Amino acid sequence: MSWVNRFAGWFFVPVPLARVAVFRLIAYLFIPVDVFVTTRWVAAHAGVPTEYYQPLLIGDWLSLPTPTTAVVDTVKWLLIGSALLAATGKAPRIWGTTTFLLYFEWMVIAMSYGKVDHDRYAFLVALAVLPTIGVARWRDKRRSEAAGFAVAVIFIAVMLTYFLAAWAKIRFGGWDWVNGSTLTRAVLRRGTDLSSWTLDVPGLLHVSQYLMIGFELLSPLMLLVLRDRARIALVIFLLGFHLMVFAGLRIIFLPHVVAILSILPWERLHRQRSSTEVIPRSDDLAAAAS
Amino acid sequence: MVAVTYRDTTEQVATDQVVRLSAGARLIRLIVAAAILALTLAGTVVSDDEAFPFGPPRMYATRADPDAPVSSTRVVGLTDDGAEVPLSGGEVGLRRAEFEGQVPRLVTNPELLGLLAATYADNHPDAESLQAVAIIVRRYELDDGVRTGAYVDDVLVTYPIPDPEDRP
Repeated sequence: MSWVNRFAGWFFVPVPLARVAVFRLIAYLFIPVDVFVTTRWVAAHAGVPTEYYQPLLIGDWLSLPTPTTAVVDTVKWLLIGSALLAATGKAPRIWGTTTFLLYFEWMVIAMSYGKVDHDRYAFLVALAVLPTIGVARWRDKRRSEAAGFAVAVIFIAVMLTYFLAAWAKIRFGGWDWVNGSTLTRAVLRRGTDLSSWTLDVPGLLHVSQYLMIGFELLSPLMLLVLRDRARIALVIFLLGFHLMVFAGLRIIFLPHVVAILSILPWERLHRQRSSTEVIPRSDDLAAAAS
Repeated sequence: MVAVTYRDTTEQVATDQVVRLSAGARLIRLIVAAAILALTLAGTVVSDDEAFPFGPPRMYATRADPDAPVSSTRVVGLTDDGAEVPLSGGEVGLRRAEFEGQVPRLVTNPELLGLLAATYADNHPDAESLQAVAIIVRRYELDDGVRTGAYVDDVLVTYPIPDPEDRP
């Protein structure tokens, strides 16, 4: 097999349909949580004078409507309805596609007022690729190349969020970013009782900046994590990082965290309950690589 | 009963079917993925936030000078007795960071601040009406990256709300 085929093959390693069925439910049910609980400020744009709307390039190119109160409220309720239908798993291509498009428009409404957040690139990618899998049920024992592709692409998007963050630091902050006081500034502006002590420890936040950019630059290596147990460990590490940031700065990359959950071998939940059955293996790639 | 994992399994079982993709379906997926990847990389390398969703993930990417003050911007309404009413904590539907992104525009066009008084009144019908809206930047002093505790407040712009009778 040529290296081209092997490279392409990495994208299509069959993944259990049960895994994406569980992840899909989590992703679609997260949308109402996002809209009504964790990212409520998007819906608040309904009441903002439209003079404050600053269209993004995509809003200009696609001539997306100015977010009046009616536009914001309509998109909100269509999105909620679509996400709940998608969560049922029925007609996944149709409701998955409408959910992706509506969530995308919801994000345009979110990001067009002077501040763009960077916490949901991977979640958007997940919503874009989930409809390409087709029908997937919790008890499905089959594996699917389409599911493998979706999971692989979401994994790359998660990785890129870290790797490109390092790139942006070097591009905007320069190679000397690590010796700046970016984290001090962040703690001063957003610090909590759990983090303000770090301001008084000389060098701590300085070293943290080296560790952060080091991890981000090395993040492509996470794509080499193949075995189920190693992937679980990776997810625990990543979630730990985001929880720490949340405790210290009240910033949680929640949609990104949801996308991280796609890395987990969810089908094992079902396997462990049905212990008498013989378990099909799901680690072709791991076996091939070792 | 002991759980059986794949490590205990010596051979594949009949239920382990794989749903394959056709060569065409694979090719389309790879082409679209490559295009999105190219846009993503290009966005980070040459573009900026306006290219969302392909802009650079530049959270905390700006280098902060260890000796320059840390700025924190707030937008406030001023009542008759000069009391400050916070407006940049979601009171008028915009977050602090959103105001910060629009500061240059608001300084040039302060009448935009006037619109906030009406929105504030809509959202808080029982609150005292605002006489003016101002953008204030608080600068915390840093010495070699460590806070000294000192700060100064700098009023960037104040926009007096026209009297209702004066409005067209």
